[in-house]
Amino acid sequence: MASQRIGELDFSEPYGIHHRINNPSSSLINDQGSGFDFGELEEAIGLQGVKIRNDETKASAFFTGKPAATLEMFPSWPMRFHQSSIGGTNNKSGGESSDSALSSKNENPFEPESPLSKKASSFCSSDQLQHLQLQQDMTNNNDVIKTASSPKSAHEKRKGGGSTSDNKPLDAKTLRRLAQNREAARKSRLRKKAYVQQLESSRLKLTQLEQDLQRARSQGMFMDWSGGVGSNISSGAMFDMEYARWLEEDNRLLTELRNGLEAALSDNEMRVMVEGYLCHYDEVFRVKGVTAKADVFHVINGGWTSQAERCFLWIGGFRPSEIIMMLIQQLEAVAEQQIMGMYGLRHSSQQAEEALSQGLDQLQQSVVDTIAGAPLVDGVQQMVVAVGKLANLEGFLRQADNLRQQTLHQLCRLLTVRQAARSFLVIGEYYARLRALSSLWASRSRDQTIITSDENSCQTTTDMQMLQPSHNHFSSF
Amino acid sequence: MNQESVMHYQVDPWNYYMMRVRRRRMEEEDEMERVMRIVSESAVVIFSSSSCCMCHAMKSLFCGMGVNTMVHELDQDSKGKQMEKTLMRLLATNSTTLPVVFIGGKLVGSMDTLLAFHVNGSLVPLLKQAGALWL
Repeated sequence: MASQRIGELDFSEPYGIHHRINNPSSSLINDQGSGFDFGELEEAIGLQGVKIRNDETKASAFFTGKPAATLEMFPSWPMRFHQSSIGGTNNKSGGESSDSALSSKNENPFEPESPLSKKASSFCSSDQLQHLQLQQDMTNNNDVIKTASSPKSAHEKRKGGGSTSDNKPLDAKTLRRLAQNREAARKSRLRKKAYVQQLESSRLKLTQLEQDLQRARSQGMFMDWSGGVGSNISSGAMFDMEYARWLEEDNRLLTELRNGLEAALSDNEMRVMVEGYLCHYDEVFRVKGVTAKADVFHVINGGWTSQAERCFLWIGGFRPSEIIMMLIQQLEAVAEQQIMGMYGLRHSSQQAEEALSQGLDQLQQSVVDTIAGAPLVDGVQQMVVAVGKLANLEGFLRQADNLRQQTLHQLCRLLTVRQAARSFLVIGEYYARLRALSSLWASRSRDQTIITSDENSCQTTTDMQMLQPSHNHFSSF
Repeated sequence: MNQESVMHYQVDPWNYYMMRVRRRRMEEEDEMERVMRIVSESAVVIFSSSSCCMCHAMKSLFCGMGVNTMVHELDQDSKGKQMEKTLMRLLATNSTTLPVVFIGGKLVGSMDTLLAFHVNGSLVPLLKQAGALWL
């Protein structure tokens, strides 16, 4: 705030002085050139300042630079400054109305007696650029003075700040306001610079954090789950992280498969990639099994899946017969025998799914009976029994994952290497679209658009078998 | 034999110990024979527990395929515990493994191996060979 006042001090007075001694000062400048003005400037900074105010010529030279330099701050408003003094001041005030918000903050009573040491320090703290502008402006002024013709009168009048000589009382207020605005603008520029620097540093920090997170995730894959190295992290959250990493790996492998197919690699190389992809799936089943020991509900309820995937979930994952059916419909260039084999595979997996579902239903029934049959008081015994029964859930999840794994392996045995690669791509694409559907749905409900009746019927049917693969139009693989 | 064991108890512990081991092995063989006897009686034999849900799943799998199975509820058998131990030894595992299925007198295994066979497509021929499936 002190420097604020200094700012006012700096520029209000000289404006008053400046236009009065416009012509004489111009001659002075003419004679001495820019070097002199710099010397004067340094002198002014060094002095305690009363001398400057008393010495009009020196002040004029001193302030000639400064006001002009600050005038450079508003290059878009040069024309306004060269109106008649009153008009000019009006324009100035109009032009600087944008700074009014800032200047109003910096409004301070004008104190001519504030010590000039503060003024000096404010000069020291201001941009060096202003010094350069000062020098530049000196040359401009020199040009202006030399020509002394009307086209350049804009500079002159800009420097002058008005042509009439009796505007001093009026100008004092406007000059003060101008000075305040200038100070405010300078401060806001400094603040903006600081803010931008802060942003840059936090951006660097963010990238570093992301790298750390990636590293931690990859290390998490080798952590012992039951050991609980990250004991404060729930196993469900850890599984979510692992699954996200698995998805990234999945994308990478699928891209490799796609490139391999397009590049028409040899069968052996494709086989290596297909085997690798099968191992990739084996890995996710293994991790699911490990997590299920700690938190079976998280895996079975599909908390780690997207919403659309969860809609069609079957015992914590995909329904093999659905996938097979989709492949039968979407895969091209498949021999008759292979199609028959796939139909057989679908049939077998359907029977197995049915059996597991029935077993799960019986488990649910048994748990319900146990809990419902518990006496109102002291049903602890029943609770213990129910908990024991729920432990079987893990077994069902394991069998379901086993079924999925076996189905995928059998699929690879039935098909040729390229067909297997294409089918993996189809499956990957299908899940990518399901995930995209989930995010689209989420944003759609945010927009609160009307839900079409088709989608309504899809989601209100209780039988989750209703996924129609034919509705998915995949590009030919 | 019993008298001998009693007489020699204080004098020869090693012999006594060996006799105990031999007896246990004979019992195990008895059990194994019993199991073998049971599984040879029918084409498909399931050793299950009436309260186990996975056993129910296995039963419904065979039912869905139209296969008649003979089910042995071990929790309702007097010697159920021993039979379960025998089965565990057969499967070379330490955890409770019910249900266990035998097809054509030969051990198939637990639910996961059964599902693997089924997905493989090797279950149906096996059943046909055992005479449990005619289609």
